[in-house]
Amino acid sequence: MSDEMDEIISDFLIETTEIVEDLSQKFVELEQDKDNQELVNGIFRSVHTIKGASGFLGFNQMVQLTHITESVLKKIKDGEILLTPPVMDVILGSIDMVKVLLEHIKAKDGVEEDLTDILALLQGVYDQAGGQVEVQAAPAETTATTGGAGPTLEELDALMEAQSDQLLRPVGEILVEEGAVTTDEVDDALKIQTMIRESVDVGEVPKVGDILEATNKVSKEEVKKALSKQPPSEKDKQPQVEQTIRVDVERLDNVLNLVGELVLARNRLMKVVSNLEVKYADNADMAPLAELTAFINLITTDLQLAVMKTRMQPVRKVFNKFPRMVRDLARSMQKDVELTLFGEETELDKSIIEEIGDPLVHLVRNSVDHGIEMPDVRAAAGKPRGGTVLLSAYQEGNNIVLSIEDNGKGIDVEMLKGKILEKGLAGQDELERMSEKEILDFIFMPGFSTATIVSDVSGRGVGMDVVKTNISKLNGTITIETEKGKGTKFLLRLPLTLAIIQALMVGVGNEMFAVPLASVVETVRIDPSNIKTIRGQETVILRDEIVPVHRLANKFFIPAASSNGGHKMYLVVILIGEKKFGMMVDKLFGQEEVVIKSIEGFSNSSEGIAGATITGDGKVVLILDPSVIFVGDLRA
Amino acid sequence: MAYNTAMKILVVDDFATMRRIIKGILRQLGMEDVEEAEDGQQAFKKLQAGKFDFLITDWNMPNCTGLELLKMVRSDPKLKAIPVLMVTAEAEKEQVVEAIKAGVNNYVMKPFTSDTLKQKLDKIFNK
Repeated sequence: MSDEMDEIISDFLIETTEIVEDLSQKFVELEQDKDNQELVNGIFRSVHTIKGASGFLGFNQMVQLTHITESVLKKIKDGEILLTPPVMDVILGSIDMVKVLLEHIKAKDGVEEDLTDILALLQGVYDQAGGQVEVQAAPAETTATTGGAGPTLEELDALMEAQSDQLLRPVGEILVEEGAVTTDEVDDALKIQTMIRESVDVGEVPKVGDILEATNKVSKEEVKKALSKQPPSEKDKQPQVEQTIRVDVERLDNVLNLVGELVLARNRLMKVVSNLEVKYADNADMAPLAELTAFINLITTDLQLAVMKTRMQPVRKVFNKFPRMVRDLARSMQKDVELTLFGEETELDKSIIEEIGDPLVHLVRNSVDHGIEMPDVRAAAGKPRGGTVLLSAYQEGNNIVLSIEDNGKGIDVEMLKGKILEKGLAGQDELERMSEKEILDFIFMPGFSTATIVSDVSGRGVGMDVVKTNISKLNGTITIETEKGKGTKFLLRLPLTLAIIQALMVGVGNEMFAVPLASVVETVRIDPSNIKTIRGQETVILRDEIVPVHRLANKFFIPAASSNGGHKMYLVVILIGEKKFGMMVDKLFGQEEVVIKSIEGFSNSSEGIAGATITGDGKVVLILDPSVIFVGDLRA
Repeated sequence: MAYNTAMKILVVDDFATMRRIIKGILRQLGMEDVEEAEDGQQAFKKLQAGKFDFLITDWNMPNCTGLELLKMVRSDPKLKAIPVLMVTAEAEKEQVVEAIKAGVNNYVMKPFTSDTLKQKLDKIFNK
């Protein structure tokens, strides 16, 4: 039983956490749409549900808290309490406390929170409407004996007894309406039915229609007709019920892994078959083999997509926390900001969903803090006092685009230039030559912040560079579009999945490596004699830009294949965040789709290895992680 | 007709944890043949598809409430005789009246123990 209890509690935690996350958003929606009765009902039901289960599981503090919260919500539902911002603050506070209590349940630390303050606040709100609520909620199994509006339990039970004999009435009613029988005849039939029910303790109680028929009051046809006239059971107009099961992520990962293996085997198979096709073009078995291989290719691709889909989650999971965050932020800064969400149903791989939260939080904060102006400033500029932040998600080819757009003051490029000069990040004539995009990209430089006054919300000087690095790690990109006075838009482009990437295959000595294509800017052929050493760092000049050069051969201690110096080599130019560098390799093999396999017992990323893959011809190849591979050598 | 432990029971609640809890309590009473549905519509489908002997439903559910489910069941020729137990909370007493009018066989208030449930089952099936 205790195992089962543990399982129930872990179910409870998962479900309640989902509900609570959902709640925060619903509350903020409600604040903007106070008359939305459906929303109020939904919220009430959620709190009610948490209370119900907590009662069974003996989480008394949770019951106490949700009980009074529910009472307050009931008053809001009934229009007895107005949902003002201060009331909302109290309710949101109670939801926050629910979260804290959930954490305790999760940690099994048995810690009791001091609920006095929050209970008093809730009671205060409740008292606004007059009336008392019992703060002390009924703990498990002191079945309701006290107060509350409505009938007493005894009355209910009496009512229950009185009505239970008449459950099957409708058929009789219809027959009366049809004029087939009289009311008295139906009542007689009901009495007979009751008698049968009381005397026979096994078997089915005959139906009223059957009794009427048996006592020759009506014909079989009339009963049939009456039955057919019973209210339609609404089954025809029901929408499809969504069928879902919960599956451990580990199992899904396992399946994904196996599919990865299959994709690799498929790639090899295709290569082998295409070799055979050349060799044995005349063999009669060749055509079916090629055909079969093409079929397997197709199925594998479909299977891969299908499995990928099982790991997809709606971006709503991340978006949900923003309405509350923006509300609190705007309130604390006395700004008027409305957050609009769009495309919440857009799906992303679970691992990306998990990583994207922090960068998004930073960007949304940034929009509210630095983007949207104070109401008076906006009014003076002829804009509506309230600003809008639009957070949207949509698919664009093989990418998911997340956009954070505000209609605030925009980024002042001239001010940005001043800042760049002041920090000595670029010279005046350099700036003259830069495009607006290039200048905006300085925002992603480490330590660069445009906020003249550092607020406690954002603009601590850490952030934008971290945002960019995190997005790069997900093989994504970030761009800025801005118009002074009109607003700013950040666009994040993310891959649909992390498990399969496009990679550039490169060769050093006799080794082959895969470089994620997302971070490759270009490849150029260079003459090693053009490499100049500046302060101990090898560099090369590419179109007037000094690019640090790292030799992959040195990193992995690979002896050069042809040690005779002077031969041409290739430079793979990589851009991570705002850091650009070149990686010197001997050969370029071209682009290939690779499945990332993690390497067991090896601490991957610290060494600059993201994983390994097996190429079409069966070779195991390491996938480089350019974001950290030369991190020791990188200078900001 | 007395209830027996071989009864096929459908438990309806939108909250999976509640379904598990109720299933657990039923198991304590020796009843293992229990299926679940997460709202009235799903429940109604299941009821129509399989022969259930007993329906335990929550009241406050999105989409299709327990009351709507009860009304659907009572107006379905095949299902209307199935005993229905309503799971409710103290705050919902007014709804119990509605439920009784709609033909519920009995109600039980959350939270309840296996003893309470047993009493209710006795009341419903040993009439």
